[in-house]
Amino acid sequence: MGPYDSSISPAAGSSNSSSSACSSSTKPPPPDQMDHLLAGAGYKVRSNDLNQVAERLQHLETVMVKSSPVDISELVNDAVYYNPTDLVSWVDSLLTELNTNVTVPEPVPVNTDLSDLHQFPSDMNVYGSNHAPEMHGEFSQQAVTPLEEDISIRLVHVLMTCAEAVQRGDLPLASLLIDDLQALLGRVNSGCGIGKVGSFFVDALSQRVVNSPQNGVVQVELSAYENEILYHHYYEACPYLKFAHFTANQAILEAFDGQDCVHVIDFNLMQGLQWPALIQALALRPGGQPLLRLTGIGPPSNDGRDSLREIGLKLAELARSVNVRFAFRGVAASRLDDVKPWMLQVSPKEAVAVNSIMQLHKLLGPGGPHGPPIDLVLDWIRDLNPRILMVVEQESNHNQPEFLDRFTESLYYYSTMFDSLDACTAQPEKSLSELYIQREICNVVCCEGSARVERHEPLVRWRGRLTSAGFAPLHLGSNAFKQARMLLTLFSAEGYSVEENEGCLTLGWHSRSLIAASAWQSIPKPSPATTGG
Amino acid sequence: MVHIHDDDVQSDGFCINDHLDLLIEVLKRLDGRSLGAAACVCRQWCAIARNDSLWEHLCFRHVSPQPVGVRPVVSALGGYRRLYMVCVRPVLSRLKRRRIGSESEVVRRVWSQHEVELSLSLFCVEYYERLLVGGGRVAGDSPASSLKFLCMPVNV
Repeated sequence: MGPYDSSISPAAGSSNSSSSACSSSTKPPPPDQMDHLLAGAGYKVRSNDLNQVAERLQHLETVMVKSSPVDISELVNDAVYYNPTDLVSWVDSLLTELNTNVTVPEPVPVNTDLSDLHQFPSDMNVYGSNHAPEMHGEFSQQAVTPLEEDISIRLVHVLMTCAEAVQRGDLPLASLLIDDLQALLGRVNSGCGIGKVGSFFVDALSQRVVNSPQNGVVQVELSAYENEILYHHYYEACPYLKFAHFTANQAILEAFDGQDCVHVIDFNLMQGLQWPALIQALALRPGGQPLLRLTGIGPPSNDGRDSLREIGLKLAELARSVNVRFAFRGVAASRLDDVKPWMLQVSPKEAVAVNSIMQLHKLLGPGGPHGPPIDLVLDWIRDLNPRILMVVEQESNHNQPEFLDRFTESLYYYSTMFDSLDACTAQPEKSLSELYIQREICNVVCCEGSARVERHEPLVRWRGRLTSAGFAPLHLGSNAFKQARMLLTLFSAEGYSVEENEGCLTLGWHSRSLIAASAWQSIPKPSPATTGG
Repeated sequence: MVHIHDDDVQSDGFCINDHLDLLIEVLKRLDGRSLGAAACVCRQWCAIARNDSLWEHLCFRHVSPQPVGVRPVVSALGGYRRLYMVCVRPVLSRLKRRRIGSESEVVRRVWSQHEVELSLSLFCVEYYERLLVGGGRVAGDSPASSLKFLCMPVNV
């Protein structure tokens, strides 16, 4: 599914009105009859005229191709002002003039705003016959053969136009486009593919437009219990979390080789689903079992249960069954930058592993008085001197400053993720996973400032960030790779792929990487006492 | 049921039920499905077939090299019979289905170390999930939710 492979894209930056030098030959039709997609490009065409325009343009192409070069060159001789934004009359007049073979007025240069389209191909220019065929091709597809695929393409186009209207602050147009989108959604299959993920994006956009386009909305907080349920079903429906857990465990196991006292710090304990496998692997370790300490960080419970402690008890019970000495400590913090190193009680004799599964990106938001949260946290992680820092993050750039860029990137990313989720048939796992992903989408699209926590960044940026924070990469070995590949063969869908990328592993759906796992070790800070000569 | 053949038994002089060590040797060589069928023959066979060491043999007889120290862990997590039903059998059949074209007889296939480790890890996660849900003792033979994906039909 390729959302962006059409030659016509909505324009950026142009308003609805034409250049002021031209006079409009018809009165502007009532707004609800104009085609909004083309309105975004600066053209005024009524939706019910689209068919007619398509046919006329087709005819125009035939006539121009058949005309002799002499006739066409006469087109450039005289200049008469016409209004090209009024497509219907423009095409009609061109046709009549070519047919009668009189010296034909040249269409006036289009509003120069349209040439500011830095992001779109230059053949968007109105002049000349090279434009007409492409335009007519698009129209004839849409007007003459309304296949579902074309509706899907149109859906994506309108989504992009709407997002870009939101970025510009053009709320009336955005609202109209949202109505269009709702209508389009009614015509596609909303059970799968672009219909389903499109509906989530339309919801998110409409929330933003209705509530607070500039400052973003604040997402409704779920209770800890609800969060756990969604997370658990997401864990079961698709392999991303399992891949993260198993790869991290393998790397941590290898880093703990030969160590007798080991301490794992988990940045997001949730239900502790990652740790049973590590406990079992340590129980079967050839060199003997170490003493395992686990410190789990999680949000404070808002419903009276001490969920951290409960999970700790369950993990301790499991560890006791397999005869591994185990100690658990829970640290309740609503944000990672609220955690102070002394809370973790790391002892200097033990080997430390820090495990962050999709948590670090939440620290990329606006900084407090002490500086960006990510730098603070990476700093104290480095102070702990961990043998391994395990980082698993979404492989996408949802933290770009421009709204439209974020929107585009997330549309592509989550479409791919929903494609992969289609393979899962178990309910309620599938629906609840979709709800889990929908919350992420909402956060990326609707929220701004400190409310926007889903600030995903791709692996290359994390590499740069971690390297400059004083960490050196650890290569994930072939064991991790083989295990990940084997894990994927157990899943019923055939589209998943694991790739190795400079010592990091990425899991993707077909050719698109969706989640990346990397391991790091801290470079000890140079000691303040200088070595003398 | 046995009484009908009493005369035959006495005249032939051999009944497998009198030689349980032989019975166990035979059962050790069966595949999972046959072992399950054997458990349905009579109460005595059922009691013998439920012996976890038979299932241990079934799980790891084709593992090279033999895993060490696994027994206490597996016993603690629910036993070899459960390990077979919940993890080993679906994993083997799923891996077999992926090997289209090569010899794929499930029984003769040699496990690799990675496959053993992965199965044990999945088994442990499954045990933990039952702990989360039920608290305390394990109940029933059906796997907990995180292994549901193993039981789903392959979308070939």
